[in-house]
Amino acid sequence: MSTEHGHDHHHPRPDSQVALRARALEALLAEKGLVAADAIDAVVDLYERDVGPQNGAKVVARAWTDPAFRGRLLADGAKAIAELGLGGVEADNLVAVANTPTVHNVVVCTLCSCYPWPVLGLPPTWYKSPPYRARMVAEPRAVLREFGLELPDEVEIRVWDSSAEVRYLVVPMRPAGAEGLAEEALRVLVTRDCMIGTAVPQVGSP
Amino acid sequence: MSAGAGPRLAEVDAALAGRAALPRDNGALVFEEPWQGRALGMGVVVLERTGASWAEFRRHLVAAIRRRPPEPGESAASAYYAAWLDALEALLTERGLLP
Repeated sequence: MSTEHGHDHHHPRPDSQVALRARALEALLAEKGLVAADAIDAVVDLYERDVGPQNGAKVVARAWTDPAFRGRLLADGAKAIAELGLGGVEADNLVAVANTPTVHNVVVCTLCSCYPWPVLGLPPTWYKSPPYRARMVAEPRAVLREFGLELPDEVEIRVWDSSAEVRYLVVPMRPAGAEGLAEEALRVLVTRDCMIGTAVPQVGSP
Repeated sequence: MSAGAGPRLAEVDAALAGRAALPRDNGALVFEEPWQGRALGMGVVVLERTGASWAEFRRHLVAAIRRRPPEPGESAASAYYAAWLDALEALLTERGLLP
């Protein structure tokens, strides 16, 4: 694993003195009426789920409804998502790639698990799995079929390999049947997998 | 706590940016052990209950991080949240809420 990705695989102290200390402090604060366990739970829960694919869905729905935005998004992903208040270090070099009737895009990180988290949240477990990382490059059509996505032979599959430098967001095609929907309603059609490229939006199945 | 659960994570990130930034791995917060998440949660709740500012907490946290570099073999997240507990205790002591 390359250090440029910032991973480290050290371990917490074997001795869990510090865990006991945390628990003692929490007990003390509870006794003083300063914190309640469920308030802490609520914060932890909220923070763990804070970033999510709804950010990416907002970007895609905007691209579907605003052709000028779509143009800016495809020209400079990072700059365009900043218009929506999104971004951050790990989306500094976001590249948006658009599906068309003849091209389907899918994203992988063959080296580890680079992922455009400011727009997609946390990567799913399978995204980090060695089989996905290896096989999506070698046999994308077969892997997509396993995801339940059957693409016609004439559709070219482009596999984008993420890295610390470049992260990709797939802009799926607006599905048939979604013509009349407003931006808000469109957002729910755009799932995480649609923006990784292992699914396509379906009307009626969010 | 009432509706919501304290400030949004983005606000905490902004308040702690730089030397006191929360440990992350590919964007996700790193909690290697549950106590680390509890420590973060405690900090958020305590600041909200006491009215202490994130700037004030950050000052304690930066000082604690400086005093407590990771020990050999200790993970960055473990060292960070140990410093976090130091900072929280320092803040509470300063405000007379801990002996």
